[in-house]
Amino acid sequence: MPFDLTVLLPHLDALLAGALLTAEVCALGILGAFALGTGLGTAATAGGWPGRLARLYVDVFRNVPFVVQVFFLYYGLPEVGVYIDAFWTGALALTLVGGAYASDVVRSGVLAVEPGVVEAARVSGLTRLDVFRRIVLPIALRTAIQPLGSIFVNMVLSSSILSMITLDEVTGMAKGVAAQTYRPFEVYAFLLVAYAGLTYAVSLGIGALHRHLNRHMVAGGGGRA
Amino acid sequence: MIAVEGVVKRFGAQAVLNGVSLTVAPGEVVTILGSSGSGKSTLIRCINGLERLDGGRITVDGLDVANPRQLAQARRLSATVFQLFNLYPHMTVLRNVTLAPEVVLKRPGAEVEAEARALLASVGLADRADAYPAQLSGGQRQRVGICRALAMNPRYLLLDEVTSALDPEMTAEVLAILGRLVSAGTTMVFVTHEVEFARRISTRIVFLDHGRLIVDLPTDQFFADAGGMAHPRIKQFLSKMTPVGGQS
Repeated sequence: MPFDLTVLLPHLDALLAGALLTAEVCALGILGAFALGTGLGTAATAGGWPGRLARLYVDVFRNVPFVVQVFFLYYGLPEVGVYIDAFWTGALALTLVGGAYASDVVRSGVLAVEPGVVEAARVSGLTRLDVFRRIVLPIALRTAIQPLGSIFVNMVLSSSILSMITLDEVTGMAKGVAAQTYRPFEVYAFLLVAYAGLTYAVSLGIGALHRHLNRHMVAGGGGRA
Repeated sequence: MIAVEGVVKRFGAQAVLNGVSLTVAPGEVVTILGSSGSGKSTLIRCINGLERLDGGRITVDGLDVANPRQLAQARRLSATVFQLFNLYPHMTVLRNVTLAPEVVLKRPGAEVEAEARALLASVGLADRADAYPAQLSGGQRQRVGICRALAMNPRYLLLDEVTSALDPEMTAEVLAILGRLVSAGTTMVFVTHEVEFARRISTRIVFLDHGRLIVDLPTDQFFADAGGMAHPRIKQFLSKMTPVGGQS
């Protein structure tokens, strides 16, 4: 059979709907992982039980296969009366595992903030929360943002596993279309391009954020009013 | 008044400050001299609450810096300028100066900004307000550091080796500004190696040696042969300090 993309045309709506669903579940997962990772990563730099708890969390979620976590949330939790639909299970699972990876990156970013800068903020009378919010976190994120970007890209790739819990994201849709059309080559070629496009969009966003956070490093920029 | 009473600070087994007592009254410029490791910077860090005391007591206008609530109040009365500037790298020069007055003192933004611009202009940095610290020279950064401290209208200015990271030319820039502040009557605790400058501006000189305060004298008495100079440690210290122009 010759390579013929027109065989996809009748299924394009379904495939694009799947891609949109992937984008949605990943966007939620990335936002969630960013928030969770920031919280955990900061807690991990603290002493005492918050630090230990955060490190324990990271160890647990990084050492269990993603698919097992997804199955546990989707098939396991209903046994104890907690039912979450496939979409929110996906967003939650991505948040939980992405947060564990993001936490490590945020933690090293926080540790890399120059102590003297933090001390200057403290003696100026800023509260601990203000020191964190206005000084530590923005400085930590400018180094952390790029490694966070690779974690987010990996989350997009991992989201393909969510087809295994009946979520009609793009991989799930593609499997269905391939079975219907017997044209796996074209269908999966589309899928390759779809994931490349989605991850590229994530990278573009991260790149823009990185430039924004590091705008003060640009030589000469903003030098004059 | 800043009152330091029998302060002890240990790092591990070593006592970096060993029963140091000292007062700084409004209007005074007290210079703390001593060789590296004598505890000068640690004393400043105890006054502004960056180090926890292992003994003794420090009050700033009666506020005990060991008490977290009183420390928060005390920190509004004093401001610190650091050896390595410690500017906020992600904020413009202007924001470095306006942040604490706006956030800590909750003063209106427009008013704070106007004051900050005037401060920057007074140290020759009017046209650098929108630059970032990484785009400035060391001397310029320290001038921003001074503006950031002054923007809080502090009663006490704590200066921790503020010229030690600067070359002679930049040191001169910064010292000139400090000289003006002294003329304006700013109360200062000044940790430095700039002995000649200290001699010109200080009302009192305090000498620390291995964590002990061995001399606390009015400036002219300190430099008189029968005063501080009579002390062998001080004589030895000063003989090594003076000849170098600017850097110590």
